[in-house]
Amino acid sequence: MHIHAYEKLWLAASVLLILFLLGSVTYGAVGPGVAMVSDSEPAIDAGALDEDDRFSEPRVEQVGENEYAAYVVARQFGFQPDPIVVPANSTVTFYVTSADVIHGFEVAGTNANTMVVPGEVSEITVETDGPAEYGIVCNEYCGAAHHAMEGKLEVVSQSAYEERASGGDGE
Amino acid sequence: MGRNETAHASAEDVGGETEEFDPIGTLTLIAIYFAILVVSWVYIYYIEFLGRDLVIVG
Repeated sequence: MHIHAYEKLWLAASVLLILFLLGSVTYGAVGPGVAMVSDSEPAIDAGALDEDDRFSEPRVEQVGENEYAAYVVARQFGFQPDPIVVPANSTVTFYVTSADVIHGFEVAGTNANTMVVPGEVSEITVETDGPAEYGIVCNEYCGAAHHAMEGKLEVVSQSAYEERASGGDGE
Repeated sequence: MGRNETAHASAEDVGGETEEFDPIGTLTLIAIYFAILVVSWVYIYYIEFLGRDLVIVG
């Protein structure tokens, strides 16, 4: 069978393109460690969050050296705690659940973004860089005031974080 | 009219090095599309996606 030289050329190029796309995603997973939103958390009772160890009092707590867990509750129409304060240059795992309907948890302008489903706990781990302030938005239509549902994520320096954690809840 | 490859595939063309039908325009167009795809992918994945803060790592 005669195959035209140009046809060989663009067949080879398309195979290279596919390999490049696959290679990029592989590089993302191996190099920067990009992961999917985890499905590892067991289901909880969305109607009884006030009796739940983690979500009765939404908070950020230290769980290891430079590792923090943020327990976040999304409800109509806001996020708790507000603001979510985490230290800079640390590893933060967000455990997000909903007290009522399906919400979204999107740290605006970043890759931290997950659905929040009542009865399920969405777990995402991120690494923070320097101090910054991000907005959090709900990106799933959740009711009449969906457009006003927002929160704040504050990444503060280690010292400022410790000061807040120990000294004052008072602003 | 109706020039096509088969009609002109004479004995000398079979296994010959020279190509009778050279769609250089199509080749150029595909090369441009290809370049657009590669550049867009590099931009979307490496710059926009990996370059943002708070990459999910677990």
